[in-house]
Amino acid sequence: MAELIVLGLLLGGVYVAVGLGFSLVWGILNIVNLAYGALVMIAGYITWILSVRYGLDPFLSIPVNLVVMFAIGYAVQYVAINRIVRAPFLYTFLITFGLDLIVVNALLLLFKADFRSVNTFYSGASLAVGPLVVPYVRLWSLAVAMALAAVMWLILNRTRTGDAIQAVGADKDAARLVGISLRHVYALTFGIGAACAGVAGPLIVTYQAITPSAGGPYTLQAFVVVILGGLGRVSATVVGGMLFGLIEVLAQAVPGVGAGYTNAIAFAVLVAVLLLRPRGLLGRLA
Amino acid sequence: MAIETAEPATPALGSFAVATAAARRRERILYIVAAIVLAVLIVIPLSSLDAVQAAGLPLVMDRYWFRVTTLIAMFVIIAGAWNIIGGLTGYPAFGNVVFFGIGAYTAGTLITRASLPYATAVVGAVVVCAAVACVIGLPLLRLRGHYFAVASLGVAVATGEVINNVQFFGGASGIFMPIIRSDLLFYYLMLGGAVLTVGTTWLVLHSRFGFGLIAIREDEVAAGVIGVNTTRYKVAAYMLSAALTGLAGAIYAQWNVFIDQSTAFNLDVSIDSILMVLIGGIGTIFGPVIGAAALEFLIQTFAGSGELAVWTQIGLGVLLTAAVIFLPRGIVDFFGGRSSFTREYVRRTLRETGV
Repeated sequence: MAELIVLGLLLGGVYVAVGLGFSLVWGILNIVNLAYGALVMIAGYITWILSVRYGLDPFLSIPVNLVVMFAIGYAVQYVAINRIVRAPFLYTFLITFGLDLIVVNALLLLFKADFRSVNTFYSGASLAVGPLVVPYVRLWSLAVAMALAAVMWLILNRTRTGDAIQAVGADKDAARLVGISLRHVYALTFGIGAACAGVAGPLIVTYQAITPSAGGPYTLQAFVVVILGGLGRVSATVVGGMLFGLIEVLAQAVPGVGAGYTNAIAFAVLVAVLLLRPRGLLGRLA
Repeated sequence: MAIETAEPATPALGSFAVATAAARRRERILYIVAAIVLAVLIVIPLSSLDAVQAAGLPLVMDRYWFRVTTLIAMFVIIAGAWNIIGGLTGYPAFGNVVFFGIGAYTAGTLITRASLPYATAVVGAVVVCAAVACVIGLPLLRLRGHYFAVASLGVAVATGEVINNVQFFGGASGIFMPIIRSDLLFYYLMLGGAVLTVGTTWLVLHSRFGFGLIAIREDEVAAGVIGVNTTRYKVAAYMLSAALTGLAGAIYAQWNVFIDQSTAFNLDVSIDSILMVLIGGIGTIFGPVIGAAALEFLIQTFAGSGELAVWTQIGLGVLLTAAVIFLPRGIVDFFGGRSSFTREYVRRTLRETGV
């Protein structure tokens, strides 16, 4: 049981990293980014290339990933999504799905459908505490995810840029009146969201092989994490991610339920939360 | 106010053109064209009958074209059904494929396990789909916007996964049905379903029920205030959409002979059908038909294996992105001179939707 809980929290750390960017973009821009998992996969492949070609450690590839993914996110929002942010939400849904199709298939052309994973000299090493055995890579991942959450909180709550982002999220027309450039802040927010995917991608490839189409489940999990925790707060995403990691690990341990039910579990949680407490555990009232 | 009315009369996203005399005339022309196209579609496949062939008449439709046209008709049903809940009611159900899957699996199970005749199985599938839509619609339709979209998507993914794990429904190996070998039968079944879907949409749009749905789409609270029983209307629209989608699924199951999770609960079906409605014209009668014909024709023409298939998917993604940005009102907007595709039109659209 203790082992399951530790495993759940470690998995939860990855979900926090995945959920943060998704939550920011949804909460501020009101865009559900269906291409989010695809962005995570781009980041994963960047880490893979850096590791295979240049022998760079996956955790050290994160800074590179951050910059590249931010640039991609900024450009995508500025060029494409900014053009339809006032349209009904169905249109933002569809445009991000279109982007997902493009990215996934472009990755297929570039990298083929083979499974790719990154191995390091410490991949097999684990920390043993009594009966518990915890792989180091998972521990580092959890630490990085927590650091990411802290940085996000600082950016959003202690900087002028964060003020601008929150202002746009609260009322975009009022934000424009006080001199905030909507185009820029929208692109900036989406870029930061993509940068979060840039952190999540490297964490994932350290313990799991990826394929171009492996991103879909991460979009889904990000969604569940955000719904579970609540929209619009970094702390809510942290709680949601941890809790979802726990739920998934514990539910799969129930006899008769196995790995075949991963998505069903996620959606059972999702629908239950939506119906019982639609604003999430820690969410603000819309 | 006066300034606003002076604006060029491009209809707002998802709204309807006012029924002026000119609009009525255009509508009538559209119906006549549709009737002619339908007549052609009914007659042409008869050329494949042995008797006709024996008389030395040319074979107009070979097996490839039977397949393409049957698929197009199938997507007319699915897209039209989505249009009722997504376009008219404003509840974008991203997981409508769940009813396609349930319809297919109900028909498959009734045929293989209960040995019922095909026609009975189809009716059973339609009824089951409507019932399931009623049960899951009551809680789900309380959600709005993103939440409804993803919850409905979730139901589809979860249902597919559960069925894939349950041995009674064949588990991961799916269901095989006894073969009925007739291109004509399935062509006419799907075509009939498509006509039924378009007819249903027409009826809904010209009824009190349809006005209620549109009122819900435009402003649900206001609709409730003027006396629309919003819950009942929404669930009814969802059931109607589910029944039609289930019909397509039931016909497809027997046509394809084999079903499993990846064929019956394929999310691409949901997404493609939404794209079809969007390209054709959301909330209109013929939009889904035009969108389904255009897009499915493109998909089938460029469908291939290996690298070509990947490029097709990329093309689809680009098309989707471009359509959303530049043509949010669909192609139907350009039929009969309501609007014309000019630089001014694109500029106005971008100004309206962008920042």
